[in-house]
Amino acid sequence: MAHSTSTTRSIPPFRSTECRPEWSARLRQVALASLVLPALLLAPAVARAREYLQVFVAQPYLELHTGPGRGYPVFHAVPRDASVDVLFRRTEWFKVRTERGVEGWASQAEMLKTVLADGSPFVFGLGDRAGFTSHRGEMGLFAGAWGGANYVSGYASLSFNPQLALEGAVGQFLGRFSNGVTGDLGLTHVIVPEARASPFLMLGVGEVHTEPKATLVQASNRTESMAYVGGGVRFYLARRFFVRGEFKAHWILTKRNRNEEADEWKLGFAFFF
Amino acid sequence: METGIRILLLTALLAALPGCASVRDWFHQRAERRAERRAAEAQRTEPRESEPPQDESAPPRVIEPEVSRRKITVPRIRSSNVELGLDYGALSIEDFGTNPVYGITAGYHITEDFFFQAEAGRSRGGRTSFETLGGNIQLLTESERRFTYYDLSLGYNFLPGEAFIGRGIAMTNAFYLLGGIGGTDFAGDTKFTVNFGAGYRIVPADWLAVHVTVQDRVFQSSLLGTTKLTNNLEARIGTTVFF
Repeated sequence: MAHSTSTTRSIPPFRSTECRPEWSARLRQVALASLVLPALLLAPAVARAREYLQVFVAQPYLELHTGPGRGYPVFHAVPRDASVDVLFRRTEWFKVRTERGVEGWASQAEMLKTVLADGSPFVFGLGDRAGFTSHRGEMGLFAGAWGGANYVSGYASLSFNPQLALEGAVGQFLGRFSNGVTGDLGLTHVIVPEARASPFLMLGVGEVHTEPKATLVQASNRTESMAYVGGGVRFYLARRFFVRGEFKAHWILTKRNRNEEADEWKLGFAFFF
Repeated sequence: METGIRILLLTALLAALPGCASVRDWFHQRAERRAERRAAEAQRTEPRESEPPQDESAPPRVIEPEVSRRKITVPRIRSSNVELGLDYGALSIEDFGTNPVYGITAGYHITEDFFFQAEAGRSRGGRTSFETLGGNIQLLTESERRFTYYDLSLGYNFLPGEAFIGRGIAMTNAFYLLGGIGGTDFAGDTKFTVNFGAGYRIVPADWLAVHVTVQDRVFQSSLLGTTKLTNNLEARIGTTVFF
């Protein structure tokens, strides 16, 4: 439903400007410079002047909190039809700046009720069941077993659509007879993405680097290719969280006479974004 | 039996893969696309709503509103959930004394309560009391004394609040609990390591945080004859920048 008065709205002439004291800006530069690599890469993005999205309050008022959390007190209320600039988002909270330059935190639920200048609703990705069904990416960490050894693993995935995703995982196995690292890349097919407990199947290739413990006879480190097929279940918990349990059956393509097989079982926490 | 599982999974995958053939709209879940589509739909439906009813008896309209609808381009809203930083502290390696430790931290805030954290750090094991008393005995070589760890942890913020300096400065802060798994490379072997701990974070500016963390890194060691769980307590202070 379009907002009837939105077409005649103009951008308010007053816009607060950055007026930090100089020492604060310098302090910030020094601190950023001290974190050499990430800062060098990303500082320009932080420092660049940005054009912020302006949204209008459509509910009676928009409450601004002093911090990004449900317990922080409300210190300011933006009246209906006034606008705020959306500075950035942190988890479920938006840092906004009013026309008078007051900065505060507005919750995701409150921001859903605001509208853009043309009256259309302000839409953004929410961390809920709908997001669990259809999202851009996932990340998670696992504990488990790899061929009988303890296994620590992390993964990230990029979804093409709710059903199909490209997935990469790295892990380290630490056992009594050998240690090693694994890395693999493959496709994951989620069978029923809209279900709370949704099963999936996986197919892919990878590499495994094995370092046998020195007390054994065959004690040379080796790196081998592998291929896997697997399956698992992801179970939505709340917000952006889900539990994921999976099994991968690996074929390790060795340079010896016969190929090896290794089973990977793991269970972990993951989130989508 | 295991080959049987492999064949079963492959068959299931083959049966399920036709579902992947419907990849006509890749990345269709992106919010921007959705917003664009919604805006286009809104534009299509609006003129119909504003059209006057076709009624002969109605008086002719005096003023035809000529308002051009503004096209809104929604700039990407920056997400600031990632934290990167450096830390420094002291690590007590069981049997090997307390030594300085330095490390890097990366965090991702998922909700206001939970975050993921990855850490890597390095320290050195000192001399055991056995080596000190025994004179010229060396249990480990210099390179084996290097203590390197990494871990992946889940954190939970509790008791969030605000801290004040005088009347004018308020900073958000929180205590947090950490628990996770990882690996520790020490004495020529890498051990599966479980870690748990707690920390305090204070956020002086939206882009900066200062942390004080205490963690216990537990792994099994059989270096000194018997196999035992070793507790390696670590206390450190660090600073992180939000991106």
